[in-house]
Amino acid sequence: MGPIWARVTVIGAAVVVLAALIALYVGNLVTEPPTVSATPAAAHEVQLKLKTEPAVGPQGANAPWVSYLVQNPEGKWIHSTIYQVPANSLVHVTVYQFDSDSGLRNPFLSQVQGTVGNTMTVDGKTMQAIPPEEASHTFAAPQMGLIVPLRGVPEEAENPCEEGPCSLKQAHETITFTIRTGKPGRYRWQCFVPCAAGFLAGFGGPMQTIGYMDGFLEVV
Amino acid sequence: MTGTVSARPLWRRLIGFNLLWGIVLGIVGFYFGWWLGHQIHAESLSFFESTNQNDVALMLGYVFALVGFLVGLGFLNYPLSRMRGHRATQAEKEEGGVGRYFTLCTDHKVVGIQYLVGIGFFFFIGGMNAMLIRAELLRPSPQLFGAGNYLTLVGLHGTMMMGIMTSGILGPFANYFLPLMIGARRMAFPRVESLTFWLLMAAGAILMTTLLFGGFPTGWTGYAPLNDEANYGFDSYIFFFALVGLSMTLLGVNMIVTTITMRAPGLTWGRLPIFCWGAISTALLMVLAAPVLIAALLMVAFDRGVQTSFFLSSAGGSPYLFQNLFWFFGHPEVYLLALPGFGIVLELLPVFARKPLWGYRIAVAGIVGVALLSFFVWQHHLFVSGLNSSLRPFYMFSTEAISVPTGLIFLCGMGTLWRAKIRYRVPMLFCLAWFFNFFIGGASGVFLSDVPSDVATHGSFFVMAHFHYTIMGGLVFAFFAAIYYWVPKMFGIALNERLGKIHFWTMFISFNSTFAPLFALGLMGMPRRVVTYPSNLQPLNDWVSVSAFVLGASMLLFLANVVYSLVIVRKPAPANPWDSHSLEWQTPTPVPLENFDRQPVIDSDPYDYGVPPVPVPLPPPAEAPAPG
Repeated sequence: MGPIWARVTVIGAAVVVLAALIALYVGNLVTEPPTVSATPAAAHEVQLKLKTEPAVGPQGANAPWVSYLVQNPEGKWIHSTIYQVPANSLVHVTVYQFDSDSGLRNPFLSQVQGTVGNTMTVDGKTMQAIPPEEASHTFAAPQMGLIVPLRGVPEEAENPCEEGPCSLKQAHETITFTIRTGKPGRYRWQCFVPCAAGFLAGFGGPMQTIGYMDGFLEVV
Repeated sequence: MTGTVSARPLWRRLIGFNLLWGIVLGIVGFYFGWWLGHQIHAESLSFFESTNQNDVALMLGYVFALVGFLVGLGFLNYPLSRMRGHRATQAEKEEGGVGRYFTLCTDHKVVGIQYLVGIGFFFFIGGMNAMLIRAELLRPSPQLFGAGNYLTLVGLHGTMMMGIMTSGILGPFANYFLPLMIGARRMAFPRVESLTFWLLMAAGAILMTTLLFGGFPTGWTGYAPLNDEANYGFDSYIFFFALVGLSMTLLGVNMIVTTITMRAPGLTWGRLPIFCWGAISTALLMVLAAPVLIAALLMVAFDRGVQTSFFLSSAGGSPYLFQNLFWFFGHPEVYLLALPGFGIVLELLPVFARKPLWGYRIAVAGIVGVALLSFFVWQHHLFVSGLNSSLRPFYMFSTEAISVPTGLIFLCGMGTLWRAKIRYRVPMLFCLAWFFNFFIGGASGVFLSDVPSDVATHGSFFVMAHFHYTIMGGLVFAFFAAIYYWVPKMFGIALNERLGKIHFWTMFISFNSTFAPLFALGLMGMPRRVVTYPSNLQPLNDWVSVSAFVLGASMLLFLANVVYSLVIVRKPAPANPWDSHSLEWQTPTPVPLENFDRQPVIDSDPYDYGVPPVPVPLPPPAEAPAPG
């Protein structure tokens, strides 16, 4: 053992290194996708543009996983599922849906609920429900009473998107709906269609990972 | 701390077989296995091809990483030397200096200290994960980590604590003190002893790599079919527990053989220190239970890597099979954690009560009885899984019956304390707290062994409160009792008594303040492993989280005591600070390389307090300096 100052110095250095390692460890764990704000449209109204891709490709850490993406106010597509919208406002949502159907296990979820008028439009046609077997995903926030089933791209469609980034020139469905937000809070939303290809029963992987098929609506 | 300091320069020592080269070769091995896995991985082999996860490559990476690690540490040197016809030696034992703590060393005292530091390191990480879990639960909805990372944190905490801490007492204390207590010069298989430690360290490092591969969502139980669905990260769980199981099996064999064959003359089974009974009973459980876990994990690895279907019901397998195999290991494992604690507490009580251990043979019967019965209770974990209901009464009865031998141990403890003039030193405080905690843990366990109440509480925080009371309240309190008690022998320096008492009271109060409310949370319906909970449970959860942070701070107090006492002040401890009659305290400090100058002969039991003191052998007189 060396003199006491040397021992104290070594201990101090060890504490600093340990603290840095802990910070790195925790920082790595708390990392989540960026929060993307909806684009202002009018007073108390915003526009939220989303797309679903059958495989996120190089845009995400798990290239083969199915995923949602969001367009930021600058028009750039971002790989995130955390969206910030204003409280007590109308949110006009547009989803460009590129994935094929997987089918719902619970037909109840094929009915549109919680949107303005409990309706949506699919490729311009107003609908209140879709056949359960045609569902590819849902955009559902149970705490807000919101369920929107997303119809899948037909298998026979020409020029389908296999892997992101998907272009609007490729086969897709365009779904629009409007929701009215209430009080501020962080509301969990998720897909209820077991769409995690490659995982048993379609669950696991992207279905349980924030940034892919579930996320948050941050109402502020 | 024995041995001679190596005269070789630092640079020369760095390029020998040591931890540094173990890590380097381990990394090289990993990349080789990863590369190999990608070469041989056929399209048809991957059930999960669309997830782009090549489990075969990752598993081969871990296998070759382990091989490289052990080669770098020097584990092939001896067998290769013997193959070349060289004489058997214990050259690893002769190596002196600090370097022997970072390589293969056959001195059981070095291995004991290696275990103490290594296990302490992973215990710190496991505890830190617990703090992060409680930070997340400060609010009812996810706020810090999200559901996926929260599950990984819960899994990492549970897996690390249940895996690494199984060797928490046998590793450091039985390796160091069992040979001293039975009058042996070494363990029966010294290289195997060192191997068990380095396997455990490799296991811990592999488990941490799960963070690089997305974590795992299964908790520490790793049930099917989750273990098939899970990401890449689950492969680290498989290798972690398999290596821990291998380490436990080898450690157990070593303990059993050492105790049976290397006891000093006169050390009959009736005179064997009660700690050694705890150690050998634990070792027996390790040898019988851990191989089952290894086999189960091998089957999971095949399911994930090469498309077998042992546990996949969709392909003819049975998820129940995994549950049965896991708990055939898992419930004895709970007693792997408890039995050494029994041994420690009963070993220390007579020293601080200054009375012989009351009912020595009853205590031995209690320890052995718990060990044997622990193999007949595992299905109480499956009461709500859909198993044949006609099995329930048997497992309910067998589980409740285990309270009988446990009660014998309590009886012996209470008998020893009865009318004793107790010395309330820090190790004794931890022993007394052990009785309090383990009683609550045991009593709440009755509710979980009873089918009707188990159905209501299964999978809730009630279960979590119960097993933390038994494992942390039992094992960890005994672990700290052992540290405070034996550190003066291991390092020649005692930990500060005042800081030790502050540590104890902070830990004891905050431990109970953390885990007692979890019973209530469980009864109110809060499930385990779920990141969200109803908002009406927030006040109680916040209380628990704050208490847990104080509990974490008490561990930092302990670390501060270690640094203050062992590094800064370094005040030498008396040769036998507790006036113990046990054999390990009759050796000089530091303990010589071969432990004893001559073969000790045992003519009394180690708990003869209250009878005339045993004469302590005097050191040989120093030679007078030559005149002139």
